[in-house]
Amino acid sequence: MVRAHLSVTTIRQLIEMKMSTCSGVHRSLACLHRAVGGVRWKSSFRQAPLLTAAPVRSLIDEQISITGRFLPPDSPVTVRARMHSEEGDLWESFAHYNTTADGTVNLTQDHSVGGSYLGCEPMGLFWALQPAPGAREGLRLRKMNVETPIVMLMSLLEGHVSPSEGPSTELAVVTTERWYMAPGVKRIEIRQNGVVGTLFLPPGPGPFPAVLDLWGMGGGLVEYRSALFASRGYASLSLAYIGHKELPGPQNTMNVGDSYFKSAFQLLEDHPQVDGSRIGIMGLSFGVYLTLRIAINLGVKPSCLICVNGPVGSTLKLIDPEGRSSNFESEQKYWTYDDQGYVSFKAVSLPANIVPASIVKVERLTCPLMYIVGEDDLSSSAIENANLIEETLSAAGKSQLFTRLSYPGAGHLIEPPYTPNARISLWSVKPKKVMTLWGGHTAPHAAAQEDSWKKILDFMECHLRR
Amino acid sequence: MLAGVPCQIWIHSSRYTTCDLWADYKPNDNTTEFMMDRKQCIVKLLVQPSRGLVDEKFIILVQKAPPGYQLTIHALHKCEDGHSWEAFGHYTADTTGTVNVSEDPSLGGTYSGVEQMGLLWSLRPVPGSKPGLRLRKMNVQIPMEVTISVYQGHQTEGFMDQVPLASVVVERWYMAPGVRRIPITEDGLTATLFLPPGPGPSPGLLDLWGGGGQLVEYRASLLASHGIASLALDYLTPKITKQTGKMVDLQYFEKAYKVLEQHPQVNGSRIGMLGLSFGTSITFNMAVYSKVMKLRCAVCISGSHVQPVNGSMEEMLMNLYRNPDRFHFNKDNEVISRAMLLPIPTEPSLKVDMGRLKCPLLLVLGEDDQSWPVTESAMDIKEMMEQAGNSHLLTVLSYPNAGHLIEPPYTPHARATLFRNLATQEKVMVLWGGETVAHSHAQEDAWRKLLVFLKENLYSGTNSGATLLSHL
Repeated sequence: MVRAHLSVTTIRQLIEMKMSTCSGVHRSLACLHRAVGGVRWKSSFRQAPLLTAAPVRSLIDEQISITGRFLPPDSPVTVRARMHSEEGDLWESFAHYNTTADGTVNLTQDHSVGGSYLGCEPMGLFWALQPAPGAREGLRLRKMNVETPIVMLMSLLEGHVSPSEGPSTELAVVTTERWYMAPGVKRIEIRQNGVVGTLFLPPGPGPFPAVLDLWGMGGGLVEYRSALFASRGYASLSLAYIGHKELPGPQNTMNVGDSYFKSAFQLLEDHPQVDGSRIGIMGLSFGVYLTLRIAINLGVKPSCLICVNGPVGSTLKLIDPEGRSSNFESEQKYWTYDDQGYVSFKAVSLPANIVPASIVKVERLTCPLMYIVGEDDLSSSAIENANLIEETLSAAGKSQLFTRLSYPGAGHLIEPPYTPNARISLWSVKPKKVMTLWGGHTAPHAAAQEDSWKKILDFMECHLRR
Repeated sequence: MLAGVPCQIWIHSSRYTTCDLWADYKPNDNTTEFMMDRKQCIVKLLVQPSRGLVDEKFIILVQKAPPGYQLTIHALHKCEDGHSWEAFGHYTADTTGTVNVSEDPSLGGTYSGVEQMGLLWSLRPVPGSKPGLRLRKMNVQIPMEVTISVYQGHQTEGFMDQVPLASVVVERWYMAPGVRRIPITEDGLTATLFLPPGPGPSPGLLDLWGGGGQLVEYRASLLASHGIASLALDYLTPKITKQTGKMVDLQYFEKAYKVLEQHPQVNGSRIGMLGLSFGTSITFNMAVYSKVMKLRCAVCISGSHVQPVNGSMEEMLMNLYRNPDRFHFNKDNEVISRAMLLPIPTEPSLKVDMGRLKCPLLLVLGEDDQSWPVTESAMDIKEMMEQAGNSHLLTVLSYPNAGHLIEPPYTPHARATLFRNLATQEKVMVLWGGETVAHSHAQEDAWRKLLVFLKENLYSGTNSGATLLSHL
């Protein structure tokens, strides 16, 4: 039906037809183009208010640009952010701005005059997030599933309003996603050689420099920092060592010791996509002690260490030479309580209170060490431990290995940037509900997270790539 | 230049330090040993944004290469049906060791010159692929993944057998965050509604593709990402046709319009219609003759108003094939069908009376369209409207050297693809036309102008809180 036999006649017809069509078409195209020329492409209608976030899908540690346009000039507006945590709690933040004479508000250059933060804070809506009024007590915002993004609803509201005050006129909205994993990053569950962890690999051929990533006594398997490291080009292994059901023994004691941590390090070293000569270790809180112990006691050779707010020795009673420990609750004599009944663990890690035999011989350090201090850390004696490490290294003629970053107003939980701080959070519910003090005031803590993250990445760049 | 902190992916692809390499490498050295050596240099590759919308531009930067270093930037995409597509450009690093794809010219490859998005629109099936492939995203809920890599030297083949110097993955999304995808099955419809985020109401749009049928969602999802509630409609292969064997009638489209009109999150008085190819036949007809549809505007891409105006939809479709001798095969056995509706009839019952159109109309066409007589039709429409006195409603975008398939920007151009003709149930290689560079530029320009046209006509007038946009 549709087919035509390919013959010389047909081809000739085709060519002739095409040519005549073309010449006919070309003659009249001029008319058509004149029609095009008559179009006005400048919008002549009054555009509705617009709120944009760019990029609208970004990584957690990326700064984004939030702007409102087509607003009444020199008028009060409120920008509000809302999100639901994985547990279903509503978190929100807001800020008051005045639009410019041309009806715009741009969070990268304009100043907040009220709300969750003040001043020029492009990312304030993210780090100043708080549980919405009526929320449960003692919440801490943490993403445990790093394969999905945080979805934040941003709104532009008329006037200077507080979300809790009641309904307000919504002028514009935008939904933005914040990701822990860059495209192409692979997440690999590790359950081998007894090691329990999650490995994140960057996209590309490798081999990559790597990081062994250690958290604190809260336990479990916390992946989000490793996911971010992989998004920045480092293979990263988040390691569980306490409070994880796939580890041996009761969950409230540390039942793994030196050989476990050595296996984890070697797992990284032996991985075909890891450059075994370029592995760093990062630890926060109790993870600092583990970082130092691995680097100095176990015969492995990391290229650099990053320590955040943690002790130079064990704050848990050791039960064997391998470093296995008892549970944290068993030794409460150094716990202190404030007038609201919140517990601070700070004194537990005072050098004088640390198990002397567990203090790591830092003088044997052979690689660079960066120690990050939150000066308002209410959970660990970070300053005293930093001082002890610095003195020890200095006495050993190794002060060139030591770098300290110290942040006034920052608390214990110095985490990746643009995430809110928890000054207190729920520590345990049995035998009774206990809230623990982490410390840190919102704005300085946010500044510390932003600055330290950049410096951590620079430090890794310097010691793991060059 | 870059908004915010760029996403940087460093790949250290060798166990050698940079020092060894810098000592060995001499930019004017004519020996090829360095290039063939396993000692590869470290380059930094950055693509921003790493997750963008399909119609958004990206910036590709290569840094820390040796000055004057020759390299190839390569894009690889594995599409949903398993075929691999690639594109590449040849670049030379400047004195600072940098290549910026938005500013530097490609010296060869699948595109040349300064082409910021060339790595996407010049994608083509890898060597050895079967002929006539077309890249179309059917699942719009997950992004298109493209691997961007840097290879040493100016290469044209064998990329998969080599280790790149650096590699990142970029996601291209068809849905902005917050856009909701709602399958519509009521009233016998096979459709998908995409709603912009926010409480609404938003203006609405009926989105029609052409004679290939299926439920094609990617344009509707993109339009919703720009604030327009869009309904992608399957009208040639809907469930009801598969079950009954009967094609739908014109009331099917009016039902779809009503679904939009009555939706609580759609502003029922601000609905437009967009059609491509055979979808324009429906759009022209509805815009002029439907008593149910009150369209605020219409967009017709690569189409014609020539049809049996009182016919059913099936008759309109079969009308395209009534003259088999108007279909020709070229030397590559590709069918050229543009003569099927020629000459443009003078008889009123054989074409939509465009003089009766009451709403703004945007016509988009490629002058090298080999499949439909788009230019002749546009000229006839213009003439009809000038005679009737409503030509102020008409805007025409006519693109030299563009073909039939004018798609959202950066969609790879294919001059001819295998097409299942639903009227004849045959699979043929159809010549769509278009020269790749011109066609790709046309897609970008047409999309931008189409969005302005739609927003201007669907949003005109003031509102406060009545219309909320998710914008990119």
